[in-house]
Amino acid sequence: MRRLQIPELGGANAAILHRPHATVVALTRQLEAIGLQAVSYWPDLPAAARSSDYLFLDVDTAYDDQFPWPAGQAPMPTIALVGSEAPGRIEWLMNFGADAQILKPVGTGGVYSALLIARATFDARAEMADRITSLRARLGQRQTVVRAVALLAARGKSEDAAYDQLRAMAMAWRVSFEEAAERIVSNAGPQESDHG
Amino acid sequence: MKRKIDLGILFSRSGTYSLLGEASLTGALKGIAQVNADPAFDIAFRAVTRDPQGNVDAYAPMCEDILRETAARHVIGCTTSWSRKEVIPALERADGALWYPVPHEGFETSDRIVYTHACPNQHLLPLLDHAFARHGTRSYLTGSNYIWGWEMNRLAREIGMRAGGSVLGERYLPLGATDVARIVDEIAELRPDFVLNQLIGPSQYAFLQVMAELRAKDPYFAQGNCPVLSCNLTECELPAIGDAGEGVIAAGPWFRGMPDLAQGEGCDFGSSFEAAAHASVMMLAHLLNDHPGAEMLPLADLLALPKATQMGINARTHHTSLPVVIAQVQDGAFVPLKSMGLVEGDPYLTMGRDTPRPALRVVT
Repeated sequence: MRRLQIPELGGANAAILHRPHATVVALTRQLEAIGLQAVSYWPDLPAAARSSDYLFLDVDTAYDDQFPWPAGQAPMPTIALVGSEAPGRIEWLMNFGADAQILKPVGTGGVYSALLIARATFDARAEMADRITSLRARLGQRQTVVRAVALLAARGKSEDAAYDQLRAMAMAWRVSFEEAAERIVSNAGPQESDHG
Repeated sequence: MKRKIDLGILFSRSGTYSLLGEASLTGALKGIAQVNADPAFDIAFRAVTRDPQGNVDAYAPMCEDILRETAARHVIGCTTSWSRKEVIPALERADGALWYPVPHEGFETSDRIVYTHACPNQHLLPLLDHAFARHGTRSYLTGSNYIWGWEMNRLAREIGMRAGGSVLGERYLPLGATDVARIVDEIAELRPDFVLNQLIGPSQYAFLQVMAELRAKDPYFAQGNCPVLSCNLTECELPAIGDAGEGVIAAGPWFRGMPDLAQGEGCDFGSSFEAAAHASVMMLAHLLNDHPGAEMLPLADLLALPKATQMGINARTHHTSLPVVIAQVQDGAFVPLKSMGLVEGDPYLTMGRDTPRPALRVVT
């Protein structure tokens, strides 16, 4: 069971990147009924729109240069307004990486669920990226852990006991296992580590 | 000479929730009679009535039939949220508007609908506040198996968690089902502080009956303890429930004896279902009055009239400002325990800083 927080939508800002159109009117009406403030932009998204809480974009007409960030790196949850289902447009959308989508024409519904899904997907993606970064870092420190365990073992312990000692140190210092290993290796200085 | 205006009426007079449909129908017809008899209105309504007989699949075709076969652009109708959601595409196709005079679970603001009865910040939230303060935060949730019960109980669970409470159990029955023994056995076993009941029609009547039997034999459930709460029980169903309804605590915008919802235009009503349907007709009449051609205006234009705001309709959310009253059934009638004055409908719970923000659960 995964818990999905309903985001704070009252007073949130939504940017709409779409030419003046009935779609913008219908979207704005729904957004305001939910309690958000909507601002539409065309043809370019100004840098100031980076601070919006949500972005709706028209996939039928969108191109990379409209956005003040590289493809796939939108700083807020994004919702695609899909009209044409031509494969080329869907391919562009995949590279852009929207968090939710609404099929056009936009009627009287769909925006609320899109907001919830976009926020949850965006947050999950950000959390996943953080986790990958931290796993990569830990993977990179594997060498350090091996050296730290070897250093501790060199003082007469078995490898298992040295490993347990390193874990106990990390807990006592309230740092990660890898960080504790890092401290031991750097404290050991060049001499002992060379020796190890 | 009054302008004649067709007005659609779409309520079920048979089926599992016929008492609710009848109450709404009565209120709507009272409103129509009042408008037609009052020389202050330059309009007269002609009711175009259809009866879906409690069949959820009959609502959309009948609604479309009203809008296509008559001059009516407005329909007063629907009881369950399920049927309301069914008619939205018909309203869009046939260019009509629905006045929905029944409590609902929120999270919807169709631009084709005006919601004239309470949504959760006008019923469930104040009702839970009351229950947490008076009875405790350990709840048991039950309801009929469709969107109303599911969403109301999800919200109740979330609000309960935020209040540090716990949900001891949660169980649903299909619409119309009366095999409530399992639910009552579970309640007897779990001994919650209160039961939140979102059951509809005969399921609710059977449930209250078996709960009354439990109260008679188990002192933990003696009268006054572990009350059953409801967000839609009104006087219109009390005769079907009888003594078993004693002690039920309900939230609503109106109970018998209060001034009516359409700003004091004297009528005596049987229940808030009747009062809200009547108020819907009266609000529509005021918007169309003295304004030839207004009956053909899109709903958005009609609600943009200053009169709409004055009557408490919010043009942004299409919800209304309503009194909030918590009342308890005592000697066969609702007795108010707490009255909160007018509260604006907040269907997405995004207006107030202090409205709890619910969280969803996703099964993975």
